Amino acid sequence: MNNQQVTLQVEQVTKRYGEFTAVDNISFEVKAGRVFGFLGPNGAGKTTTIRMIVGITAPDEGNIHLFGEKISPSLQDKIGYLPEERGLYKKMKVLEQLRYFAALKNVSQKEADKRIDFWLDRMKLGEWKLKKAADLSKGMSQKIQFIAAVLHDPELVILDEPFSGLDPVNVETLLEAIAELKSKGKTIIFSTHLMETAERLCDDIILINKSRKVLGGKLREVKESFGKNLIALRCLDGEKVLQENDLIENITEHADGLEIALKIDADAQILLKRLLESGAKISKFEKIEPSLNDIFIEQVKENNG
Amino acid sequence: MGKFWAVVKREYFKVVWTKVFLISTLLAPMGMILLSFLPIIFFSIKGDAVRLAIVDDNGKIFQRLQENLSPEKQLEKLKQSAEDPLKNLDASREEQLKKTAGQFGSTFVLEQIKLNNRSVEQIQTELNQRIANENLDAYLIIPPNYDAKDSQFEFFARNSSDMFSQTALQNAVNDAIRFERLSKINISEEKLKEVNQKVNFSSKAVDKTGIVKEGNNYGFEVAFGLAFLLYIMITIYGSAVMGAVIEEKETKIAEILFSSTSPFSLMMGKLVGVCLAGLTQVGIWIFSLLGLLAYFAAAGGVNGMNFPLPEISIGFVIYFFIFFLVGFFLFSTIFALIGSMVTTTQEGSQFLMIVVMILMVGMYSVIPIVRDPNSTFSTLISLVPFVSPISMPARIFIETPPFWQILLSLILNILAICGFVWAAARVYRIGMLMYGKRATIPEVLRWIRTN
Repeated sequence: MNNQQVTLQVEQVTKRYGEFTAVDNISFEVKAGRVFGFLGPNGAGKTTTIRMIVGITAPDEGNIHLFGEKISPSLQDKIGYLPEERGLYKKMKVLEQLRYFAALKNVSQKEADKRIDFWLDRMKLGEWKLKKAADLSKGMSQKIQFIAAVLHDPELVILDEPFSGLDPVNVETLLEAIAELKSKGKTIIFSTHLMETAERLCDDIILINKSRKVLGGKLREVKESFGKNLIALRCLDGEKVLQENDLIENITEHADGLEIALKIDADAQILLKRLLESGAKISKFEKIEPSLNDIFIEQVKENNG
Repeated sequence: MGKFWAVVKREYFKVVWTKVFLISTLLAPMGMILLSFLPIIFFSIKGDAVRLAIVDDNGKIFQRLQENLSPEKQLEKLKQSAEDPLKNLDASREEQLKKTAGQFGSTFVLEQIKLNNRSVEQIQTELNQRIANENLDAYLIIPPNYDAKDSQFEFFARNSSDMFSQTALQNAVNDAIRFERLSKINISEEKLKEVNQKVNFSSKAVDKTGIVKEGNNYGFEVAFGLAFLLYIMITIYGSAVMGAVIEEKETKIAEILFSSTSPFSLMMGKLVGVCLAGLTQVGIWIFSLLGLLAYFAAAGGVNGMNFPLPEISIGFVIYFFIFFLVGFFLFSTIFALIGSMVTTTQEGSQFLMIVVMILMVGMYSVIPIVRDPNSTFSTLISLVPFVSPISMPARIFIETPPFWQILLSLILNILAICGFVWAAARVYRIGMLMYGKRATIPEVLRWIRTN
C-alpha cells in the first residue's frame, strides 16, 4: 500500500490572517483512489486548508503538491470543489448554470451538455433542467452544486460538509454517487464535523483542532490505537471467572449485558478462553472499539483543556 | 482566456438577453422625450382665471393693465420669449420658473373699483370681505401718486404664493407705469415700440479653418442630453455591476468561482461583459438617432422645409463612444469595489450616493462649458478623471479642444482605471469570501496593501 500514488501532499503549511494563525504547520498526504476524511470542529481551520488546496488562497509557509506538481491555476481544472458556503445564481436556469460552471473548468459545451444530462438523470433532477435555481428546494440545489463540482470529471473531489441540510433520501443518493466516484478511482477529500458519516465513508482521516493537526492515519489504525481494552459481554454462568481480578479492572452492568474494562496489558483472548473452559454460555463477546465520535470528543477536549 | 470569455459571455447575455433590456432600449428614448416635455405640459395647466379688482380712481392704469393682461398680449409675449435664443443659462432656478410663468401666462378677469368718496380703508374692508366670500381672488391698490419714484403698490390675494400670476401682474403694472411716465414726457407708444424694436441677431460659428458655418443652436441641448445619457447609463449599469457582485457574495457562489478561475479574470470578465452590454444599448440609441436625423434631413430637403438639425460629426460619435467606454469602465470598477466591500444592496446604496454626486458634478459642468468651452475652468474640468468622461464629450461637441487635451483627459482616466482595477481586484479577492459583515475602510486599505 505504501507505493500507492499520492494525489495530494501538504507539507508544513501555515496560514495567518493578521495576528490569527488559521492553519499552523499542518502536514498530511492523500493517496489516490481513497476517501480522505478531513475532520475537526467548526473553526478548526478546515476550510482555510481546503481553500489553499484549491488555489483560492496561498499558504504563508509550506508547500502543497497536487499530482506531484506544485499547485498552480492550471491544476484547478483537475479539482472539483463543493464548498461549505455554496450557492447558485438564483435567476439562471439550471442548465445554463451548469454550462457556465463547466466552461469555467474548460469543458466544451458539447461535452458539458452530455454530462449535464447524465448527472441530472443520475440525481433524479432531469425535469428541473430548464427551471431557475430560485425554484429549487434546498436539497435540489445542493445536488446541483454537487453536479457542478464533478461535471468536469476531476481527479480530486473536495466535498466540504456535503450532507448538511439534506434529507435521508438525498443523503443516500449522494453517498451512492460518492461511492461511484471512488470506484472510478477518483480521490475524495471529505470534510465534516459529523463523525458517523466520516466513519462510514473514510479510508483515512486527519483530525485538526485549533489550527493544528491532532492525529491522522488509516481510520482502522486510528481506532485501534484508541482501543481501551473494553469488552461487551453477555453470558450465563460466568460469575466465577469474572471474580478473578488478575485480568479485570472493573465491571459495569448494562441492561443487555456487562461492560468489562480489562487491565491495560491484559489479553482479551485469555478471558474468553477461561470463560469457555468454565462452561459459561456466551451469547456476546465483543471488543469495544471507541467510535470516531468518542475519539474526536476526547481529543478535542484534551486539546482545548 | 477561455474562462475569461466565458465570464464575459455570461455577464453580457445576462443583461442583454432579458425582456427588461429590450423594453428599456425601446422605451427609454420615449421616456426621455416625454420627460423633457413634462415641465412644459405641467406649466401649461392653468388654474381658473384670477378675479382681480384694481382700486384705481381715474382708471388710466386700469385701462393699460386690461390691455397688458389681455390674452392677445400674453400670447405675443409667449411668442417673443420662445424666440429668445439660447436660454439664460445663469438664470437662477427661481428666475427660470418665473420666466416660464411669463411664457405661459395666467388669465385674469379685471374689475375697476373707484373710490367714489370712500376711503381706501373702507374699500379694503369691503374687498377683504369679498375675498373671504370667494367672490374675488385678489386686489391691487394703485396709489394716486403712481408715477412717483416712491409710490407703493399694494397687492392682496387669497393665494399669495401663486407667483406665476403675480409675476405676470407685476410685469403688466411695470409696463403700464412706464408707458404712463413716457406719455407724460410726450413720447407716444408707437414711438416707443419703434425704439424698442429688437435687432435681428443670427449666430454663426467660425471654425478653426476660418469657414463660417450656420450656428449650432442646439449646442446646449445636445451636450446636456449626452451628459445626461452618460450619467443615467453609468448609474444604472454601475449599480447593476454592484448588484451582480453582491449577488455572488450573498449567494456564496464566489467560492465555487474562485476555485475555477482567478478573481481578477472574474472581475474583469464581469466589467467587460457589462460594459459591452451598455455599449450595445447606447449604440442602438445613437445609431437609430443618427438614422432618424439623416432621414429628417433628407425629408426636409425634399419638402423644402428648413428644420435646423444639430450637426453631429462622425468624429464626435467616435469620441463619444470612447469617453463613454472609459467613464463606464471607470465607474463600473468603482461599483465592483463597493460591491465586494458590502454585504447587502442597502449598504451599497449608501456608497452609491457619493458616486452619483461625482457624476452630477460632471453633468452640471456642461453648463459653464457651453458658455465658454475654452475657459480655464472648462479646460480643467474636462481633464479631471471621473468628471471628464461626461464633461469632455460636451466640450468636444461645443468646440473641439486641442487634441493633446483630449488625449491627456483619456490618459488620466485610463490611469485612474488602472489604479481602481488594481485596488478593486485586491478588495474583490478577499471581500468576496468575507461573509456576514461589512468591511471597514481600514480593513479594505489593509486588503489593498497585502499581497
